[in-house]
Amino acid sequence: MRIESNLKWHILLILALFISLMPIVFAVSTSFKELSEAYSNVLGIIPDKPTLSNYLRIFQELPLNKITFNTLVVAATVTIFKVITSVMAAYAFVYFDFKGKNLLYFILISTIFIPFTMTMIPNYLIISQIGLRNNIMGVILPQLSDATGIFLIRQAMRSIPMPLIEAARLEAAGNFQIMANIVLPLVKPAVISTGIMFFINSWNEYVWPVLILKDTTNYTLPLALQLFVSSEGGTDFCLAMAVSVVTMIIPLGLYLIFQKYIINTFTSSGVKG
Amino acid sequence: MKEIVFENVCKKYGKNLIIDNLNFTIKSGERLILLGASGCGKSTTLRMIAGLEDITSGNLYMNGKRVNDISSGKRNISMVFQNYALYPHMTVADNIIYGLKVQNIAKAEISSRLKAAVEMLELGGLENRKPKDLSGGQRQRVALARAVVKRSELLLLDEPLSNLDAQLRVHARKELVKIHQTYKQTFIYVTHDQVEAMTIGDRVAILDKGRLQVIDTPSNVYNKPANIFTAKFIGSPGMNIFAAAYADHFLKIGKQSVKLPEFWSAYIGKRNCREFYLGIRPEHIFLQNEKRKNSFVGVVKYVEEYGSHCGIYFDLEGHEVVASGTNTALKPGTNIYFTLDSARMHVFDKESKKNIGYPEVCYDNVYQYQSV
Repeated sequence: MRIESNLKWHILLILALFISLMPIVFAVSTSFKELSEAYSNVLGIIPDKPTLSNYLRIFQELPLNKITFNTLVVAATVTIFKVITSVMAAYAFVYFDFKGKNLLYFILISTIFIPFTMTMIPNYLIISQIGLRNNIMGVILPQLSDATGIFLIRQAMRSIPMPLIEAARLEAAGNFQIMANIVLPLVKPAVISTGIMFFINSWNEYVWPVLILKDTTNYTLPLALQLFVSSEGGTDFCLAMAVSVVTMIIPLGLYLIFQKYIINTFTSSGVKG
Repeated sequence: MKEIVFENVCKKYGKNLIIDNLNFTIKSGERLILLGASGCGKSTTLRMIAGLEDITSGNLYMNGKRVNDISSGKRNISMVFQNYALYPHMTVADNIIYGLKVQNIAKAEISSRLKAAVEMLELGGLENRKPKDLSGGQRQRVALARAVVKRSELLLLDEPLSNLDAQLRVHARKELVKIHQTYKQTFIYVTHDQVEAMTIGDRVAILDKGRLQVIDTPSNVYNKPANIFTAKFIGSPGMNIFAAAYADHFLKIGKQSVKLPEFWSAYIGKRNCREFYLGIRPEHIFLQNEKRKNSFVGVVKYVEEYGSHCGIYFDLEGHEVVASGTNTALKPGTNIYFTLDSARMHVFDKESKKNIGYPEVCYDNVYQYQSV
């Protein structure tokens, strides 16, 4: 019975894995094909005549090094800033007592549900007025305010048994010591997965940079990708896929490095006592 | 050493009164037990001493200094939590010395204190393990080690043995007393287990619904309970309490009456106490096979087997009474005859439910058993 039901699940999982991996395999494979083969041999995974010409071309046609650097600066700044502020705000919401705490938290969390399209125009006007259009600072700034991290990290902190914090308080540990020595090590998986989520979201951000950035040298990777998708002479899939692969590499590498923490978030149940 | 004084201390959560006007003094260097059923406010009292709970009104003094607004870290106390509160990501050694590191104590001093604590609590070889790799007993000892390395003047323990099995508990009780004798800290120990309270405590404070019922030595709490609550709460089974009356040298329980010894007659007579509650512990009821002069009669209800002896429950004029005995063959419904040990009788005022005291002869060590 057990093996049988496991088998069912395994088939389902293999199917899901296939569905989710297929586009990536397709992208990588097409990026090494010549355009003619991309049309004639659409589903072939291994190209007949593998070529690096697509990669050489995209780096020649666009300042891709600069664009990748821009994207990294935006994503890293947004991630680091949001992780730090989210951890500190979550700590305050969990361990400090102050008047109006719950109301403030409620207001803060409800901002998560404000759609991007509602803040888009006011944000655009503000960024224009302070002269940050066509500047990656203008891309970064509106992304910094986000309560999602506060919510996620607060939930993780709330699962820490209160006596652990009280024990540290009795030892005369200050709030920064408690945060660094007790709370952060215990919520590390949650912080890291929140950080990765921030990074990937910011890395993939498209609509806002499109509004703000004008010059190609200031572009981020999703904008560069768009250049190849909708060029007037029709889409060159091979080039578009090569840019896709470049866009994927850094988030994928980060995910591979930190994946054990992401898995930990779901499996760690903490030690009693 | 720390002396702690509670002065009219109250604690409210919203509108709920948790601690009601607490007034007592914890002497420096003593082992004081806070005993009570769950929800009686004993842990809240301990947490107020620790500074983990605010005091709603009243004053708390430590060594003469008011500490209401002093943060817990500045009170120089150690505490053992019920679930031990060990840091799961730190090794045993790091758990023990965390507080010392926070206080920037010299490394040599830290390692010598760690060594002493590890030796005393038999934790050798476990220093590099994580709490999750320890047994319940070992975790409890790590928590104790963490509390003793601090060498504070006050050690608070919140039901530290409640997660241990019965055998380990006996061992841990001895260990706690040993720690106290070594470091001579003031011990404040919260428990709902009266055996722990009686064996560990120099004095026992019994709380009920946020009110202090009594604070006294374990012997007095058991043998001379100050009120009905204490009498019933301490002892297993607790003391039998039932309404009784006094008239003309006779003790009346329902329709039955027996003659009281002269010392009780005089004592009760002098206090003009006609109706009262009579208390008697199960082991101070003497069962007899047949009716004698001055014996009461009851009807057996059921018998509980304890191993070394048994508890015989019987009906006495509508009151359920339990006596210690050895005869497990008693059948429900049969008559049972018994006398009461008059030197171990307790009389409680009907209104205030307080103990009215004892004739002098009851305090006298040379006093011989005399049945009522």
